Amino acid sequence: MRISTKLTGFYVAVLAVFCVLTVALLSQLQAVSRGYDALLNSPVRQMDEARVLQVDFKKQVQEWKDILLRGHNSEDLAKYTEQFHDKEQQVRAEAKALTSELEDQETRQLLEQFTAAHLILSQKYQQGYQAYVAGKADFKAADKVVRGQDRPPTDLFDKAVQRLETQVKESVEAQREAVLWNLNLALGVAGGLLLVLGMVGFFIVRDIRSRVARLKAVSDRLAKADISGLVIDISGADEIAEFGESMKGVHAAIEELLMMASAHAAG
Amino acid sequence: MGARLVGFYEQAAKELGVPGRMKLAMLTGIPSLAAETQPDSAENIKKFEQALSQLRQMPKS
Repeated sequence: MRISTKLTGFYVAVLAVFCVLTVALLSQLQAVSRGYDALLNSPVRQMDEARVLQVDFKKQVQEWKDILLRGHNSEDLAKYTEQFHDKEQQVRAEAKALTSELEDQETRQLLEQFTAAHLILSQKYQQGYQAYVAGKADFKAADKVVRGQDRPPTDLFDKAVQRLETQVKESVEAQREAVLWNLNLALGVAGGLLLVLGMVGFFIVRDIRSRVARLKAVSDRLAKADISGLVIDISGADEIAEFGESMKGVHAAIEELLMMASAHAAG
Repeated sequence: MGARLVGFYEQAAKELGVPGRMKLAMLTGIPSLAAETQPDSAENIKKFEQALSQLRQMPKS
């Protein structure tokens, strides 16, 4: 193969490897970005929504306690009752929305159980409220009806949140491992290709240098007219071999000239 | 061995003189002494014929 072909081929190979690596790295980057987008759009978002729901439920319970504490004043009673019902509706709507988004069957079941428990709790709150109003701010009677009733939904929801937390951690870990694997793959492929290119380049350069060195040795001997026993054997089909063939012509011409000079001197 | 090749050298000397012999050696890469030991192969004969033809077309120096 001709040197110009080898060098052009090597140059094209380097460009091709560079382009392939660039495309591969961009693809990896997009894959990582998609992975994190999926993580943020699903488990992390659900986790956030669950946290909001958890806080809203605690606020609903807080509104109930405000009713019991300050409901002796009719204005406060109306105010906290309204806020209590707002929170109650909010919690119900958020639980319904979150349940519809969940893919994990067990978490979904926990949310459904929470919704059912929350409904029962609402009925208890209603009974307690009626006892409170009937007893003219009798918080003891009201508390007796609802005491400890918020525990089951709270526990159920805590379990759901805990499960979501575990899922987020697992998803983050899986994503981190996927990124690490992709990074190692990219480094391995890039390193492998660069190694192959480096080896090919090294052998091309070594071959050219060795053949040029042989050609120079021939040229040096011809320049010194030291042609005794000179054999020009530079095989191949490249420019160096062509130059070697030219050297053979020069060598033959010098030999012919010396032979004729010897014959002339002898004759 | 090489009788026909040597004949090319004689022909070159006759037609073109000493420069012709030297240029024939240069074009073929085979000096006359080596031609004596080279086989009269079709490849060698073709090489010498082409070289001699080329020399004949060159302006005489």
